[in-house]
Amino acid sequence: MSRLRQWRRKVGGLLLATLALGAALSLRQTKGSLLVEAYTRLTAPLRPVVNPEEVLRQAATRELQALVAELQHQNRELRRLLQLAEQGPQVKIPAAVVGRSADHWWQQLTLDRGSRQGIKVGDVVVAPGGLIGRVEAVTPNSSRVLLISDPTSRVGVTLSRSRQMGILRGTGSQEAILDFFDKNPQVEVGDVVVTSGLSSLYPAGIVVGTVRAINLDASPAPQATVELSAPLGFLEWALVYPYAQPAASPS
Amino acid sequence: MLNLRLPPLKPHLNWLVTVLSGLLAAVAPWWRGPGLELAGLTPDWPLIWVVCWSVRRKAWQGAVAGITLGFLQDALTNPYPTHALGLAVVGILAARLQKQRYMHEDFISIALIVFGMVVIAETLMALQWMWLTAFAPAGMASSPLGSLGSAGPRSLESIWWNHQRNVLTSAILSSLWAPALYWPLSRCWHSQERDLQ
Repeated sequence: MSRLRQWRRKVGGLLLATLALGAALSLRQTKGSLLVEAYTRLTAPLRPVVNPEEVLRQAATRELQALVAELQHQNRELRRLLQLAEQGPQVKIPAAVVGRSADHWWQQLTLDRGSRQGIKVGDVVVAPGGLIGRVEAVTPNSSRVLLISDPTSRVGVTLSRSRQMGILRGTGSQEAILDFFDKNPQVEVGDVVVTSGLSSLYPAGIVVGTVRAINLDASPAPQATVELSAPLGFLEWALVYPYAQPAASPS
Repeated sequence: MLNLRLPPLKPHLNWLVTVLSGLLAAVAPWWRGPGLELAGLTPDWPLIWVVCWSVRRKAWQGAVAGITLGFLQDALTNPYPTHALGLAVVGILAARLQKQRYMHEDFISIALIVFGMVVIAETLMALQWMWLTAFAPAGMASSPLGSLGSAGPRSLESIWWNHQRNVLTSAILSSLWAPALYWPLSRCWHSQERDLQ
């Protein structure tokens, strides 16, 4: 009885050893593919999900930012060569959005920086995405901004591609209406809208939005629907910068 | 000692609650919290406050409350057109309803009254905008920036679009939130009345 058990144990041990060696050998021959597969499967829930689109988009954004910095630098160099009067880097005052419109007729924001931090009535307010409005009232530690989406707001703008000019007025939503001066403007859907150099109230070249729809038959002037690029409904902070109007400045 | 001093304090406390809640109602639209925003609009807190105040009071009291809250809202936005007109009318009408005679004073009737009053107040605002656009000098129909040239009058289209949006969205949202302001305020004012009797 005990002999049988001993024999069984020996054979069992031999079998196990063969199995282990065989498994190890097969793993060695397949370069451990089974092991790697198992490890990948098992640890899958522990790894963060990587969204390739997101990564690519971030990389593309970084590339564009670098490109913009490079072009700005080149632009500055070329301007220096041409000895154009350079606008010095302006002091931007960052401010948090602490309140929104107090009723349903005005599109306004309240910022937590005021005259004590150097903000004046008429200062230009930008946010990630582009222009958002102008300061219309200041207190020592707060300021009220009239957004460009307000129906009473008017901004002189130009199309960055064809340099067609017009006036942008808000509609109370994320879309604004551009009234062209020209009867037959060269405009296409997707054109980028920036502030115009002829507007004395805003510095030239601040991005405002993109053209979404065109109505050339509108009366009295052709119109385009512009989607504002700054997300006015979700703003949490903004940059205020003083803008000396050319007419008022001594130069 | 404490017991002796408490009773004369209570009426003052009630007035303090009234004033503070009114101020809070005026600045409340600044704050956009979860559930408070529908299509970019908030409940019309000043109007809800005026309705809550007026339903148990005389017409002139409602008018005064409406004008006060309206001026506060003017101060926080822009004085032209004024919010005081709409809110004063709301105050008078809410007091004139003499609600106790027709229905019980409860959350549902407050919500219904608020719904109707939002429509009235917003219509009065829209008519004022029309008047300003049509007759007043351009500077008045616009923001204080008018003198700087970056502002212009509203188009009729935008006025009525805005009116429609406000009436539909804000009326629903305001009437849903009205009980939240009505309940604590009515508790406070009821206790005040009981003390006076």
